[in-house]
Amino acid sequence: MSQLIAFLIRSRIVLVFLGLEAICLWLLIGNNDYQKTAFINGASGLIGSVSNTSRNVQDYFELKDVNQELAAENARLRMLLQNQQPISLDTLDQLLLQADSLDSIQYRYIPAEVVQNNFRQTNNFFMINKGSRDSIAAGMGVISSLGIVGKIRSVSEDFAQGISLLNTKNPISIKHKPSGRIGTLLWNGINAKSADILYMTPDVRISEGDSIVTSSYNAIYPKEILAGIVTSVETDANGTYLNIKIALSVDFARLSQVYVVKNEMKTQIDSLVNNNPLQQP
Amino acid sequence: MNRSYSTIIISFLVILPLQVLVFRNFVLYGTGFNFFYLFCLLLLPVEMSAIVGMLIALATGLIVDLFYHTLGIHAAASVLLMFLRYYWLRINGPRSGYEVNQFPTIPNYGFTWYLTYALPLIFMHAVTVFLMEAGNVSLAGQSLLRGLITAIISFIFIVLTQYFFFKKAR
Repeated sequence: MSQLIAFLIRSRIVLVFLGLEAICLWLLIGNNDYQKTAFINGASGLIGSVSNTSRNVQDYFELKDVNQELAAENARLRMLLQNQQPISLDTLDQLLLQADSLDSIQYRYIPAEVVQNNFRQTNNFFMINKGSRDSIAAGMGVISSLGIVGKIRSVSEDFAQGISLLNTKNPISIKHKPSGRIGTLLWNGINAKSADILYMTPDVRISEGDSIVTSSYNAIYPKEILAGIVTSVETDANGTYLNIKIALSVDFARLSQVYVVKNEMKTQIDSLVNNNPLQQP
Repeated sequence: MNRSYSTIIISFLVILPLQVLVFRNFVLYGTGFNFFYLFCLLLLPVEMSAIVGMLIALATGLIVDLFYHTLGIHAAASVLLMFLRYYWLRINGPRSGYEVNQFPTIPNYGFTWYLTYALPLIFMHAVTVFLMEAGNVSLAGQSLLRGLITAIISFIFIVLTQYFFFKKAR
């Protein structure tokens, strides 16, 4: 013990130096956006490649579940395909020919695999194995076949980091499907299987079992993507809003296949919003 | 001893406002900055303890950072400068040794000694600032060039100040 103390006293200059530099770096990364981004990008590239290796091993243990999930999705898509009306040749004059596929497709889905995922902290993040090389950019939404997962926060060449839905700082605009009323979905930071719906007034008739889906009021997710099912409804003490809890449709504990949503119209939407001179800053 | 303290305090009071109000606006072709405020740190007494020196450097760097809108960069580089200075002064002592109560300046120890004392430290400081500002190593070439030019400009200003305002201690 005395040797340890003697060592600390002997190297006090170096220790104080390291401490002061740590304070400076903390100030730097906390206050300067550019350095913060550079730090996060550097970290996500390095950590991503390590996580990818460990994920490759883990994949084999989850193959069965993933297969079932994908088979279920295939079945659902096949059903949708059956319902599609065949184009009748008689009404050729009404048939629209698309010159460019971009004209008709608003959302593009880029499949990706989750290589790192937290769900036990208050503000959780995840990482996927696709990055800027696969035209993924910050701000894109991420969904799985079961529902909303989150949105992309920062991108390196081969990996991207996203803010999970399980993050108390990541509100999402949602809609109560039967009534069409808009509200906000925000995780409460406690249970990875449930979340809260905010700003729903008591005049909306909400009952247990109603679906909560994404609203069309955002440029990140397509509309009507399932978020969860209502499990409990009660009026709060003031009678202003309803306290609604929902069971999330995505099981974050075994998240693996996800789709990144690329909104092809986002530039149009953003430029329209930015051009509006009356817009509040 | 009192006289040396007052000199240091006056130099801080004059040089820091000069740096953040005047020299901040002088940038040569986008590469040559002028970190004149390093003179205050280089002027601190030789026998001062390294920890006190680093704390002073932290405070100085933070004040400069507030005006440069780069909170943390100048502070980190200044702390590094004071840390290196402590060892550099011991390695690079003048032939006759340091005199007590004498500032490490050109009138006291000569130009050649001051060049080897100050220029490497200023260069390290400038390179640290520009590398941290760049945030990655892909701009390393540009950062080194900027560091070199900045170090030379700052050094010229620091040397001229000493010829104008400092006399040999008796």
